[in-house]
Amino acid sequence: MKAIISKELKLIRKDKRSFFFLLLMPILFIVMFGSVFGGGGDTADITLHVIDQDRTPASQDFLKQLGGVMDVKAEAADALNDQLEKIKQGQYSVVLVVASGFETAIKQGQAADVKLYQDPASQTAVAPIKAILAGISGQYREQKLAGALEAKGESKEAAAALLASPLRIEDVPTSSDHFDYIDQVVPGMTVMFVFFIIITMTRRFFDEKKTGLLSRIRSTTIKPLTYLLGMWLPFILTVIAQCVILFAFGRLVYGLQLGDVAALGLIVLALSIAGTGIGLGLSFIVPGESASMVVTQLISMGGAMVGGLWVPSYLLPKIVQSIGHFTPQYWAQHSLQNVVAHGAHIGDVLPGVGVLLVFGLIGLIVALVRLPAFLRSAAN
Amino acid sequence: MNGTTVIKQPAATSAAAPLLEVSALRKAYGKKQALDNVTFSLREGTCFGFLGPNGAGKSTTMKILTGIVKADSGFVKLLGRDITNDTDAVSRHIGYVPQEITLYEKLSAYDNLEFFGQAYGVRGSELKQRIREVLTRTGLLDRAKDEVQTFSGGMKRRINIAAALLHRPKLLILDEPTVGIDPQSRNHIFEMIRELNQQGVTIIYSTHYMEEVEALCDIVAIMDQGAVKALGPLGDLLEQYGRKEVYVEAAGLTEAPVCAGVSAARKAGAGWVLETERPEAVMQTMLSTAATQKWHVKQLELVRPSLESVFLSVTGTALRD
Repeated sequence: MKAIISKELKLIRKDKRSFFFLLLMPILFIVMFGSVFGGGGDTADITLHVIDQDRTPASQDFLKQLGGVMDVKAEAADALNDQLEKIKQGQYSVVLVVASGFETAIKQGQAADVKLYQDPASQTAVAPIKAILAGISGQYREQKLAGALEAKGESKEAAAALLASPLRIEDVPTSSDHFDYIDQVVPGMTVMFVFFIIITMTRRFFDEKKTGLLSRIRSTTIKPLTYLLGMWLPFILTVIAQCVILFAFGRLVYGLQLGDVAALGLIVLALSIAGTGIGLGLSFIVPGESASMVVTQLISMGGAMVGGLWVPSYLLPKIVQSIGHFTPQYWAQHSLQNVVAHGAHIGDVLPGVGVLLVFGLIGLIVALVRLPAFLRSAAN
Repeated sequence: MNGTTVIKQPAATSAAAPLLEVSALRKAYGKKQALDNVTFSLREGTCFGFLGPNGAGKSTTMKILTGIVKADSGFVKLLGRDITNDTDAVSRHIGYVPQEITLYEKLSAYDNLEFFGQAYGVRGSELKQRIREVLTRTGLLDRAKDEVQTFSGGMKRRINIAAALLHRPKLLILDEPTVGIDPQSRNHIFEMIRELNQQGVTIIYSTHYMEEVEALCDIVAIMDQGAVKALGPLGDLLEQYGRKEVYVEAAGLTEAPVCAGVSAARKAGAGWVLETERPEAVMQTMLSTAATQKWHVKQLELVRPSLESVFLSVTGTALRD
């Protein structure tokens, strides 16, 4: 077996195509997704384009309050049509217009007009802005009520006590003190590209069969089971190396927190066994290399979609979430994020590790069942 | 054996137990009977030739001997052990050189030999030494670290053979090892095989080139359509089946000369080949006729029997490429 392992590792090192699929492409995807989605969720990164048609101290004060929680970009007062055109083109999803007469309305105790022009297809981006505006509107209402109470003879402190909410909401963080989108992207892309090892594995087995090497090996002292395991182990090692490199990249470039490294290592090992186990089984089922490319794309991309690799699972439709539970990608991503973002340890990830090992075992069983027929077809 | 003529092997060696015994091997692929009752045996140290066209069953026989393919019926015994459907016990004693070049092209010659040596159970310093020896023997020591894909066809064939020698096999099976290579490489391979045979290695050599069998083999089995049609020492096969012919070339001899005892005549180059059961008598007659007819005879000789004629006699067809 040592001979086969050594030979395969040498061949894998020389395989430039594998290097591209296993390392270059995932790094590219991490950079791409990280750039597009990096820092999501932090309101300081939300940009709001505003048109102040009132241009009074009151409107300026209102916009200053907005500027305290998001990035406010002032546009020219007569630029409304331009801004609406940009929404139509999809350059941004919302524009706020403070209409003329804002200050006058505030002073007279009437409703001041503020229009929020929005792209109805971008409600996800608009929702935080609306929530912030609702909060600021609430503050204005409280100020108005406080003024009314003071006018009726209440002291400032009494007015404040009357207006205080009967609810006290305290933020209690349950995860680590750091979470951003890179915690989704690095594990997600790593898991997705692990399954591309299937292409390399099926190509190796078909090459050995097609060239007569497998028949020749059969004439030596190497037994079929030894051959199978000897061909499998190098790919497990390759995937482990792939995961280590990609996580190291995430750590060095994006500051990804790794959490419990032992737990991470256990998941990586189980993921390697799952991915390569599936590759092993498929190598003895698919009729040729082209078919294996198609199947690999289905498994990688399809699994990535439903397994929550591209977007968090909880954002997917319920039916898709349910389907995702039947993919190794879901269990790998879920386990990795538990460690990276939620501080999980070995005991917490054992169920996910167990499921991944089952996937690997299924692949091995399929390979064992199909091996005799594969050897016969190689001999003939 | 049905349809097979066996000429006994030399009596001096008949007391020794055969190294290899093959009896009544049959193998079918679907409706095609690839092997039909193949039987032969080999003494140790023999160079045994399988001669036949493509599709005759030579490769299938070799794959059964090496355990790659299972026979439908019959048995194979090597070193006294039945290895018909289990060659594990003796695979260390067999070296197999397939017809295809089965090497890892992206690995170096050294890495390929290291792999195959380990596959045959050779390890450590012994393996290193053996690799050096076979590379020297194949004349490729200076190319040891080069990738096989940079080698010529002949060089690849030599490494293909070298990979089967690392474990010092008792029986070396070569399936058409010289297909598609240059004459220099072919001669190199012949030298290697002769040397190995002289050192006591038993050789099974299959080919569809008669000159290779004539150059290398003591015992020849002629195979066609899955069956052994004739089997025996080369000289005996030539004696029994080779056509007896006389070649005559003379100035002005534009038609086949008429002569008693000649069964057929054919044009060959500038002369005529006359088939006869009594070549000496025909030569005498030609000389007399030449004297009386005043032919200017340029050449008159006995044509050496060839395997080609043996093949034709035994199978009824010419050896097809």
